[in-house]
Amino acid sequence: MTTKETTVKDQIRQFVCTELASAKGIAVVADDESLIENGVVDSLGIFRLVTFLEETFRVKIGDEEISAENLQSVDMIEQFVLRKGKK
Amino acid sequence: MAYVLQQLLSASAVRFPEKTAVWARGRSLSYRELEERSNQLAHLLLEGGVRKGDRVGLFFPKCVESIISMLAVLKAGAVYVPLDPQAPVERIGYIIGNCGIKVLITQDERRRSLHATTRESLEACVMVDEARESGNGKGVVPWSALSEYPASHAPLVTLTETDLAYILYTSGSTGRPKGVMLSHRNALTFVEWCAEKFEITPEDRLSNHAPLHFDLSVFDVYNAIEAGATVYLVTEETALFPATLAKFIESHRISVWYSVPSALVLLLLHGDLKAEKLPQLRTILFAGEVFPMKYLKQLATLLPAVELDNLYGPTETNVCTYYRVDRERLAGMDQLPIGIACENTEVFAVNDKDEIVVQSGESGELYVRGPSVTCGYWGDVEKTQKMVVPNRFQPNFEEKIYRTGDMVTLAEDGNYSFVGRRDSMIKSRGYRIELGEIESALLSHPGVREAAAIAVPDELVGNRIKAIVAAHASESIEAAELQQYCAQRIPKYMIPEFIEFRESLPRTSTGKLDRVGLSRDSHPLAM
Repeated sequence: MTTKETTVKDQIRQFVCTELASAKGIAVVADDESLIENGVVDSLGIFRLVTFLEETFRVKIGDEEISAENLQSVDMIEQFVLRKGKK
Repeated sequence: MAYVLQQLLSASAVRFPEKTAVWARGRSLSYRELEERSNQLAHLLLEGGVRKGDRVGLFFPKCVESIISMLAVLKAGAVYVPLDPQAPVERIGYIIGNCGIKVLITQDERRRSLHATTRESLEACVMVDEARESGNGKGVVPWSALSEYPASHAPLVTLTETDLAYILYTSGSTGRPKGVMLSHRNALTFVEWCAEKFEITPEDRLSNHAPLHFDLSVFDVYNAIEAGATVYLVTEETALFPATLAKFIESHRISVWYSVPSALVLLLLHGDLKAEKLPQLRTILFAGEVFPMKYLKQLATLLPAVELDNLYGPTETNVCTYYRVDRERLAGMDQLPIGIACENTEVFAVNDKDEIVVQSGESGELYVRGPSVTCGYWGDVEKTQKMVVPNRFQPNFEEKIYRTGDMVTLAEDGNYSFVGRRDSMIKSRGYRIELGEIESALLSHPGVREAAAIAVPDELVGNRIKAIVAAHASESIEAAELQQYCAQRIPKYMIPEFIEFRESLPRTSTGKLDRVGLSRDSHPLAM
């Protein structure tokens, strides 16, 4: 279980850092840092993130789930993906 | 008739003292409270050394205190400068130095984020949050100090409508942002026109989607105040998520919405908008960029009873033309016109022969004449003289007209349509971006020899940005490093999403950067 969770978080962190944060000139993103407040995600970034999560973790994310509650930080994205996976 | 913006508030405070003026982040203020708090803050600012015409910076995320601060600065006879709370501190420091801001209304954390030299240049900082007890530094005034000042009346300051009200900084082609100076008359010309055109009433509920350093917010704030209506401030966190934003519109029963088209497109695609859930919504205004026709047609069908208006105008004129969408004609249209001039404004196009365009189908650069035209750029006489020019088409008296740099075509029905820019300014999510400012940021990196920023058209946000860079032979730079370097200098929406490295950049026969060639051979999809 631990191994699986680590893997999910690593993949999310990797995507957030290399695909989103880097293009905004941000080098380091802490797992609990708000991606909204630090400007890592913008309106296009949110949808790139959602597409990545859907493709990588084979989950279907509804428009109403694209919210700050689910996608605020790397930690929260991980929990959201794990919740989705259990359903 | 009001001749300074704060009179709009005082009038509504008399008519509707207990009505909600502004709502943000779960807090609201009545007109009486907004009037009283802004009176108190105005007195505090004057006692803190602010004098008529001084610039006061506002540097914190949107909240009810933003509106109090704007009005208070005006009541003190000063000029407010809204600063992008997301901008790099170096850029904020530049603006503070450029227009000589000595007093800043801010938050503890943001004040601490400023460079020491910027902090030391400030004489006072008013904190909208409670600053920590110890180590507050020089001139730090807590918000709670407002209660010591008179609430019942504003300070006595003599102003006329030609005094400056606010300065909005936009991207500058020479690598530094430029401050567009707007007077009370500039703003009121627009506000008065909107009040009449869109028939804003005390029952209306306006949204404020645009950031306060963006001129779309002038309508939201001052037209709500003018009518005694309520303005609901949309925070960054809400604006990012279309479904959350759609719920915001629904739950606050917004009746008049104003934003850039890209926000509406995202609402349309991911917000699950339904006419039956939005019975109060009567008017949608949009401005800042071209609305992609495909989505505008979908929006017009989805919300059949909502009036749709395309507003056009650079910050230098706020809005100078408008086009009301005619649903019957929309189906056959492939481009939405920017329309005809607003009242008390004249627009005309000037062709290559320096003649005013009168023939339909002919194109030219759009010029704007009237009281909405900016007083110029702060501290930049040269730039002002280049853009705000004497009216050579009218010999009887001296007056200034504004060259927009936008090329337009005149149609048979008198409407103008936007065809492109004369220079390398582009729009992304409605933000004005001078490609030259991005290039300057890149070129200031010691390892960069040549740099070009190019716009890649995008259906959702208008344009995305990529850069092509040639490094010095001995240097090896990575894209991520260069993007981090840019992040210290320019706002995030200006940082190139993709950086392509080449040995050298193509030049034209005259030695200029070959932009056409670059856009043609670079791979736009290599994003």
